[in-house]
Amino acid sequence: MSPGGTIALLVAIAAVGVAVIALVLLTRDRRRLTRLVSTSAPGELPGGRPLDALETLLAGATREAQRREGEVAELAEALDSIPLGIAVCDQHAQIRFRNTVAGGFESARHGEALVEAAVTDLLARAVQGLSGRREVQLYGPPLRSFVVRARPLMVDDDEVRGGIAVIEDVSEQRRVDSVRRDFVANISHELKTPIGALGLLADTIREEDDPEVVTRLAERMILEADRVSHTVDDLMELSRIEFADESDFEALDIGSLVCEAVARIREAADQRAVKVLVHAGEAMAVRGDRRQLVSALFNLLDNAVKFSESGTTVEINTTGTPEVVQIAVIDAGPGIESKEQERIFERFYRVDQGRSRAQGGTGLGLAIVRHVASNHRGRIDVVSSEGEGSTFVLRLPRLVASGGDTGAER
Amino acid sequence: MAEEHRIEFHEAMDEIRSRVVRLGAIATEVIPRGTEALLGMDLRLAQRIIDDDDTVDELSLDIEERAYNLLALQQPMARDLRFLITSIHLTSELERTADLVVNVCKGARRIYRCKFDPRIRGLIKAMSDEATELTKHAMDAYVEADESLASALDDIDDRLDELHTDYIEAVFDSHSAGNLDLQAAVQLALIGRYYERIGDHAVNVGERITYMVTGWLPEHTGVARVALKNRYRSSGVNDRQPASGSQGTQPEERREE
Repeated sequence: MSPGGTIALLVAIAAVGVAVIALVLLTRDRRRLTRLVSTSAPGELPGGRPLDALETLLAGATREAQRREGEVAELAEALDSIPLGIAVCDQHAQIRFRNTVAGGFESARHGEALVEAAVTDLLARAVQGLSGRREVQLYGPPLRSFVVRARPLMVDDDEVRGGIAVIEDVSEQRRVDSVRRDFVANISHELKTPIGALGLLADTIREEDDPEVVTRLAERMILEADRVSHTVDDLMELSRIEFADESDFEALDIGSLVCEAVARIREAADQRAVKVLVHAGEAMAVRGDRRQLVSALFNLLDNAVKFSESGTTVEINTTGTPEVVQIAVIDAGPGIESKEQERIFERFYRVDQGRSRAQGGTGLGLAIVRHVASNHRGRIDVVSSEGEGSTFVLRLPRLVASGGDTGAER
Repeated sequence: MAEEHRIEFHEAMDEIRSRVVRLGAIATEVIPRGTEALLGMDLRLAQRIIDDDDTVDELSLDIEERAYNLLALQQPMARDLRFLITSIHLTSELERTADLVVNVCKGARRIYRCKFDPRIRGLIKAMSDEATELTKHAMDAYVEADESLASALDDIDDRLDELHTDYIEAVFDSHSAGNLDLQAAVQLALIGRYYERIGDHAVNVGERITYMVTGWLPEHTGVARVALKNRYRSSGVNDRQPASGSQGTQPEERREE
């Protein structure tokens, strides 16, 4: 035998040895496993050999686990799609789950960090079995309000297993509430004040003999009656605009709209010694309702003139981009506090009750402007700070002249 | 075992960070709130802000105690040490910011029913916005350990200082035009000062954050200058001559280190 053959033989013997040992070990293990399975769950195993049964069981469990995992992921995604913030904690008040909205507060560092603080505080109480509710107001700006509610998560009615907190953004709700509240209060005030005055004046006239006094009182009655009729006119105009549609829209030249509005304000401006300057840019056109647009521009000018000191100037500028026409009305009046700027477009909203009523407005002008803007798919914005005057900008989609359909129609 | 301690330590550090952020959020929120109380003549809101300041004190005390605990028990080093020291400093700066808003509210009570010019009101609002913005930036710099933002705060504060100058002028103008009595004018001037101080506190926060990130404080420049002076003083008269020439540049070089 060659030395090489001897080595090969030795290797072969060794290999067989290892294989036998491995086989013995495996069968022993297999036997032990079989015993284990048959003792642990004798009745539930499906037919066949116990080890196969174990495999089936394992596969089933894995499938079940995967299915559950999938369900949890689906549930989490479903929770992500609702606009509320949801945070769930375990019995040690450690937060185990947040949906996207709630996750946004976790890493917050400014005002929202206070919402997160409310969540952790309320959850800490929830795991002690106490439900709670807290409202967090953030001054921003913008002003925002959040309501955080938390309650314990119970299992079998007595054991607290954790807590859940729900965060709701109620900013819009709070805003709408205050608009509605103010509207009702204001409209009754707006109509009741002149009517009350009329009653009193009539009462006085009945007892009065001096013709001079009667004349004076009668003049005041006419003034009050005018005020009521103005308010009613404006209200009707507003509701007409609110329900208007685009059926009678036509191509209109901006220059002519501005001229008409300026002509209407001229007399009032002269009386107050306020100059009105028009800076007309290039000729531009929009599609819209002439009466509505003139009324919007007139109301903007009316406001600007009313709040201007005599001797100052009100400017009206028209500029444009290829898509948008911008009409800016600029005054040098007292300006508007930024907090009020969101609200001045509401019906009857007045920044300073006493002062603006003395100036004879109905409180509906800017509401009309806003409605006209939205009817024409435009928008109205205000830029102002107190003591620096205000600029109102009306933006309207520009009508591009094509062929014979040019903007100038009159 | 040691590993576990580290985890606990880092959790404790994170807790301090989130509490400082919460304190900062309270401070930034209370500035516009105080301004609202002042401009809206809302005495109830003013009173609530004054009362709520107790929670600020409670929170800052809690942060300090947590930080002292970690300092004493964990002996943190380098970055961690600087973070803790900075957090302690920030706590007192933010607590002062909230106190200044309380002062604004107390001022609002004193000038209740006193009408002042729209220009003054506009400037108060502008100062309040600027102070809020500065404090927000300061907290951003802290959370992100953003050194460049932290050192930019000083420049941003210049805007608030300018507004403050305009404001004092407006108060004077309004007083000399007879629209404002002396008492109200003095109160308003003080209120302006409070806003201006809030900006200064934000700048201080910025300096502390620069320290947290780089280990450098603006006082180092001054200290270097003093050290330099002392060196020249203690050495011979001969050395003094060249010293006067290079004095301007030496501290500057220190600054770069």
